[in-house]
Order: sequence, then structure tokens, then C-alpha cells
Amino acid sequence: MEALRVEGLSKDFGGIHALSNVSFSVEVGEHMAIIGPNGAGKTTLFNLLNGQLSPTSGRIYFFGRDITTMPTHRCAHLGQARSFQIISLCPNLTVLDNTLITLHGTKRSRFQMFRSINADTRLLAKAQEALSAVALWDTRDELVKNLSYGEQRRLEIALTVTSEPKLLLLDEPGGGLTSAESADITDMIHKLGRDITVLLVAHDMDLVFGVAERIIVLHYGKIIADGAPEEIRVDPRVREIYMGIEENIENATAS
Amino acid sequence: MTIAELKETMRQQPWQVLLIRFAPYILGLIALVILPPFFSTPIQGIWTKFLIFAIFASSYDLAYGHTGLLSLGHAAFFGAGGYTIAVLNLHYGIDSLWIGLPLGILVGALTAVVFGLIALRVLGPFFLMITFALGMLTFSIAWNVRWLNTPGMQGITGVPLPDLGIPGFSWSTISFYYFVLIIFLLCFFLVYRIMNSPFGYSLRGIRDGEPRLRSLGYNTWLHKYLIIIITGAFAGVAGVLYVYYYGMIVPAHLAIGTSFSPMIMVILGGSTTLLGPVIGAAVIEFVGYFASIFTPERWPLILGGIFVVTIMYAPGGINIHLSRLWKRLGERYGSVKS
Amino acid sequence: MSAEAFVLNLLNGLSYGMVLFLLASGLSIVLGLMGIWNLAHGALYMVAGYIGWTIAVHLGMNFWLAVLLGAIAAGLIGLGIERGFLRKLYRQVNEQVLLTFGFLYILTNLSLWVWTGRFRVPFTAPALAGSFIIGDITYPIVRFEIIIIGIIIASGLWWLQERTRIGAIVRAGMDDKEMTMGLGINLDRVSMFTFLLAAFIAGFAGVIGAQFLGVYSGLGLDMLLPALIVVIVGGMGTIQGALFGAVLIGLIDAFGRALFPQLAMFTMYLLMIVILLVRPSGLVGRRI
Repeated sequence: MEALRVEGLSKDFGGIHALSNVSFSVEVGEHMAIIGPNGAGKTTLFNLLNGQLSPTSGRIYFFGRDITTMPTHRCAHLGQARSFQIISLCPNLTVLDNTLITLHGTKRSRFQMFRSINADTRLLAKAQEALSAVALWDTRDELVKNLSYGEQRRLEIALTVTSEPKLLLLDEPGGGLTSAESADITDMIHKLGRDITVLLVAHDMDLVFGVAERIIVLHYGKIIADGAPEEIRVDPRVREIYMGIEENIENATAS
Repeated sequence: MTIAELKETMRQQPWQVLLIRFAPYILGLIALVILPPFFSTPIQGIWTKFLIFAIFASSYDLAYGHTGLLSLGHAAFFGAGGYTIAVLNLHYGIDSLWIGLPLGILVGALTAVVFGLIALRVLGPFFLMITFALGMLTFSIAWNVRWLNTPGMQGITGVPLPDLGIPGFSWSTISFYYFVLIIFLLCFFLVYRIMNSPFGYSLRGIRDGEPRLRSLGYNTWLHKYLIIIITGAFAGVAGVLYVYYYGMIVPAHLAIGTSFSPMIMVILGGSTTLLGPVIGAAVIEFVGYFASIFTPERWPLILGGIFVVTIMYAPGGINIHLSRLWKRLGERYGSVKS
Repeated sequence: MSAEAFVLNLLNGLSYGMVLFLLASGLSIVLGLMGIWNLAHGALYMVAGYIGWTIAVHLGMNFWLAVLLGAIAAGLIGLGIERGFLRKLYRQVNEQVLLTFGFLYILTNLSLWVWTGRFRVPFTAPALAGSFIIGDITYPIVRFEIIIIGIIIASGLWWLQERTRIGAIVRAGMDDKEMTMGLGINLDRVSMFTFLLAAFIAGFAGVIGAQFLGVYSGLGLDMLLPALIVVIVGGMGTIQGALFGAVLIGLIDAFGRALFPQLAMFTMYLLMIVILLVRPSGLVGRRI
């Protein structure tokens, strides 16, 4: 079964072709990475999949359903969850508040105006479970802006899985992290198993090759390669654009 | 520790700590109930006015402090509620509270329904300006439409106190105060509930990170729209009470000057808190009253200065500083965080 | 409407429009470059008007000296607000707007205290105190003078915007702040200069405008509101937008008062709302 199918997706901004005729599909449970130089259109692709942008042309199918023009919040209800390139947790709210807000997002209780948010002990237990898994339960009353960058990233990624999504869109989850912290993220993604389909945008080749079973390479908005990691590693076109990253690829294969 | 264990430790907190946590509310309630009869009639009037503006300011803070919507048009909701009462009296001779108050709330909310649809189409600086324009538009409607004015003057005068339908009952300053107090307490309780509900949390999330909230499944437009309508309803309540209090309303009550009042109160008292707008209203009304007797020219200047200083150096308002003081007292009694 | 009445309203509208232009141009450029509505702008106009009155009427000195001193005073106050306060609220747009409102409030009440609430009648230089006679109508010279001054200033500002380096920097800063700063340009300094110039012109407008509007303590708000409409309708970030909007609003105001006085205010605010919904950058403004 296809979790995601993209057909002929294009996005123009004024005169700039951010994406041109992108087509691919993703099976349920597949862990796929999208790589490419800066400006290749990776985040634009995510914004289209997640409903932040509308395509100029093309179609997007999510579990067989046409979500091409669906707004972001509806995409979340259908089972998408996303992390952002720039950490976008609510900085002036506590860790626990952020978690509770995340948990209510896909539930009808988000419109509840009378009962206290703390009255739902089931959700509180779930929050505890999610936060304990990333060792953040003890800092639950701390304002997010007071956490270290690595802790914030960890929290953001952990929160994306709490809603039990069908599709996880991770935009540069390893951005700004140390290699130890990145390794944690890799572990986290491995633990997700076959139920969750994962799409990952990353520059960190360790992360990419540690997680992905399949890689798509974008360049100037077009797919120039689509295949298993070993194929991509040796693909001459990919090597050509990624001259600087070539060394990373060699290091990753060596280790 | 588990949630159950956590709740247990909270229950076991020494009563002193809990008392200090709730002391402001208890003391406040006692003061509001017991003190006013001991003051002269004009001062009782100030107590009343303070409560009315506390309702107005609290509703404003729901939109501004919690949701981050800075608007200059909410005087329209306030005025809509007030004009409802005035028009009911002027053209239909209806003075019943049981008709006037619900209708006033409805009209306030309906105004917000229209405003929200228009204003939420734009963001940021444009939102500010469009709410300003919408507010001034209602002002010019109140100014020009003859049906909204007592013949021969601007606005509507001679509005009596509400008819409770109780035979033989007549109002006094103090009885009207307690009437307003009851309504205030009700509104205060509702605001408290909204603030602590999942919906309230979503508002603060929208303020701090709207794109993220959308990707979590929140229809942020709808949440913002709903809070604007709620704000309109509460402002309508304040407007109704205000017209009962003053017995009149003028178009200026729909203009930008009236929109500034709750803003100042919220900033001074502390936004995004339950007590902040109330404290702000108290300061403005009480200090303002006494200042206007002793230093009428200097008071607006002092107020303006305090306002600027608050924005620059004390953005949490009076409330933050008071609550810090309170917390320190609480910590003296126990090692548990209050 | 008779021909004379038409010309009269035209001149009234244009002269009022020119004063609005002077005020709105600064408001608009500051908004475009710094992203903030300076709600104290009208108050700067008012304070300058009072200072101008003090110099020209109370002390009986030269009118143009009064204009200069009023403008300088406004400029200094504006500089103080920007340097001492606005700068420190970097990126907190809501707080900045509230702050400027605070200064509007303070300046209004300060003026009330120093100069009392008495209305100051329009004043000007003795040479300009007369009128021209057009047909059956006597028309004050000052109105013509204001229109001419307005055109001169507008041309000067337009030249500044289009033909000078600093104008190019300001325009670049409006389009893309990061890129401009990345080019090594100290946008902070440019912003300060822009704010200062805007305040100076607002003060200039305050004394010039006093020639037919007089001075009173409500001016801070009364001049701000139409200026806001001008910026929205005409367009933000450009001199030509401010000019277009100001002339339009000035004419609507003048003809509105004559033809349908009830609806003039209503029309302007309705226009503002429509523009905000349909074309928020204004009719002749920079695309935001």
C-alpha cells in the first residue's frame, strides 16, 4: 500500500521554479530521505505535502486520498506530523504545556473551554510517558526557551510521534546537533518501526545513511536520483553536485 | 513519579503554602464583598466602575495577552452592548434586565462575528489598522444614524437602571454595586475556566507559534475567530453595565479612546494573567479618581509615564512583581514549589 | 455646485491634503523600513505647532524661525523616542506600537499642562496674512503657500527616494532587510536617520498646518487618524503613495463636507477597510 504518492508536482514563486515535475511514491513503513544542495526545494516539498503551500500544478495522494489543496491542520488530522527546520516549539510555554498542546491537537477536546487541561489524567499520563522516554519529564515545568538547543530538538522530535502519526515529516532533525545527539535521533527513528512512514530531509550524511532505506536527490527542484543508499552513493550525477559532501559519503561508508 | 503520586504530594502540601497561593483571591473577594458599604456613595460608584472595566479589560486580555491579537476596535463591542440597552429604552421602552442583558451580550458578540470575519483576513500591522478602521466605522455609524440618537443630541441619554421585575424594588448605589459584583464574579470565573482549558492553551500556542499549531491539527483561524467572538460577548456585558451605571451613551464610547482604556489596564496590571487586568483596572480607576482630585493635570502624565516604564522595563506588569513576592512568602513555609 | 464653490473645495482639499502628506510621508516610510506604526507621529505635529505658536505669537518672532524651531523640536523628541526606547524593543512589534501610543498620550497631556486647553487660532507670517480674490470669493494666501510648499517638499523627498544613495538604501532595506545588512550597510543608522527626518517633517507640518488648522491638544490624535488612512489607502513605503493618498483623502474630506457631510468620515474608513482587504500595500504602495 502506498502511504504517499506525488505526481508531477511543481511550485513556482514568481519567476523561480522551486519544484519542477516531481513524482515519486512511498510505501507504508518505508524510511526515506530527501537530500540535495541548499535551495534544491526540499523544504518547499515538505510545505506542499503538509499543506502550508499549494502547488502550481501536480497532485498529492495520502493513503489514496487527494490532499493536494488540503490545509495544514486537516493534514494533521489525516495522520501527518512534522518537525521544522528552525525549532518551532512555543518558547514562552513550559515543556509540559507544549506537550499537552501537542496531544490535544488531533482530539476534539482542543475546543474544550470549560474543563481544566489538567483534568484529563489519561493525557497527562501519556505526556509523562512521552517526556520520560526522552528524559525530559523532570524539566517539564521549565520554559522551553531555557532548554539547551539539543534538548529542544529532542523534545520537538519526541512530540512529533506522540500523536501516533501515519507519516512523519522531519525537516533537518539533526540540524545544529552534536554527533552524539544526532545518534540519539537516529536511534529514535529506528525505534519507530514499520507502522510509521518516515520522510527525512537532512544534510548530515551519517543520519541519512543511518536511517534511510531509500534516498531521493533533489537539485534545482528536480529529482535527479531515486534509489537505495548504495546506488545513490556511487551515482556519478549525485557525486558531481555534492562535491563537498563526497567526503562525508566516503567517511560514512568507511565507518 | 506517576501522576497519582504527584497529585498526592500536592494534596499533602502544608496548608500554609496553599493558603498563601490562594490568599490574593480570598483577600480580594473579601475586600470586594465587605469594604464598599463603608465608603461614601461616590466611592461606591468608583468600585462599581472598576468592576465594569475589570470585565472589559479581562476580555481584552483574552485576545491580546493570550492570543497575541493587538486590536484597536473592541470599543465597538463595548459600545454595541451599551447601545442595545440605550436603544431598547429609547425606542421600545424596554428596561427589563432579563431582556436587555442577554440582548446586549448577543449584539456585542454579533458585532464581533462581523469584525472577526473581516479583520482576520489580514495579519500583523494590517490587523491593527483594520480593527481600528472597523471601530471608527461603527463610531461614525453611531454618530450619523438618527435612530441611534436621542433627538436633538449626540448619543442617547436618560437610560434608567435595569428593571428586575421584582415588585417594590428600587436601586441604590450599593445594591447596584453588588449586582455588578455578581456579574463580575461570574465573568471572572468563566475567564479563569477558559484560560486553563485546552482551548486556552491553544490560544497561547497560537500566539507563540501559529505555524506549528497548524501542523499539530489546530485550525488556528477558527480558534482566533472564536476568541474574538468571546471577547465581543464579554465586552458587551461591560458595555451594558456601563450604560446602566452612567445612564447614557455617546458615539465616543465606540471610538479609539475607549479602545485604549482596557489596553492600558492590561499592560499595567500584567497581561496573560487572571488577576492582571483586574489589578490594572483597580489602579486606573481608584488611583485615577483620587489623582484627579489632587493633581488633575499631572495624573495623565504620571499614568503615561508609568505605562511607558512598564512596557520598557516591567513587561509583566504589576501582577508579576506581586506574584513573585507572594511566591517568596510561600517558599518560606515549605520546600515544595508553589 | 457652483464653479466658485468647486474651486474653493479643491483648494481646501489640496491644502489640507498637503499637510496630511507631510505627516503621512514620514509615517509611511518608517512603517516600510522599520515595520512599526508610530502612533506618536501626530503628537510630534502637535508639539511643534505649540512651540511654533510660542515663538511666532507669544514671543512675536519671525514665523519661519518658528517653523524651523518647531521642526527641530519634533525631530529631537522623535530621536529621543527612537534611541531611548524603540531601539530597546527590537523586534517586539506589538510592544513598540504600544510604546508609541504611550508617547502620544504623554505628549498630549504634557501639552495640555504646559499650554492649557485653549484653542490657538491659526497664525502666520504678516506678509502671508492676506487673501486673493477669485471671482466672488476671497481665498487665504496661506492655502496657496501650503500647496506650493507641499509640492516642493514632495519633490525633494521623491528626489531623495529615487536619486540618492541613502534613498536607495532605504528602499533596499524595505525590500530585504537581511540582504541589505549583509551588504555591510548599517541599517540601524539609516533607520535612525529616517525616523529623525520623519519627525522633523512632522514638526515642520505642525507649524505650517497651524496656519489654517490652529493648534489644540486634541491634534495628536486628530491628525494621526487621517494620516493612518492616507498611508493605508495611498500605499506604504513610498513618497508617491503618501502624496496620492493624501491628496485623495484631502479632496474626499473637502468635497465630502460640502456635499454629504454625514458620510465623509464613514466613506474614508470604509475605503480604508476595502483597501486593507483587497490591496493591503495600498493603491500606489510598495508590494509587501
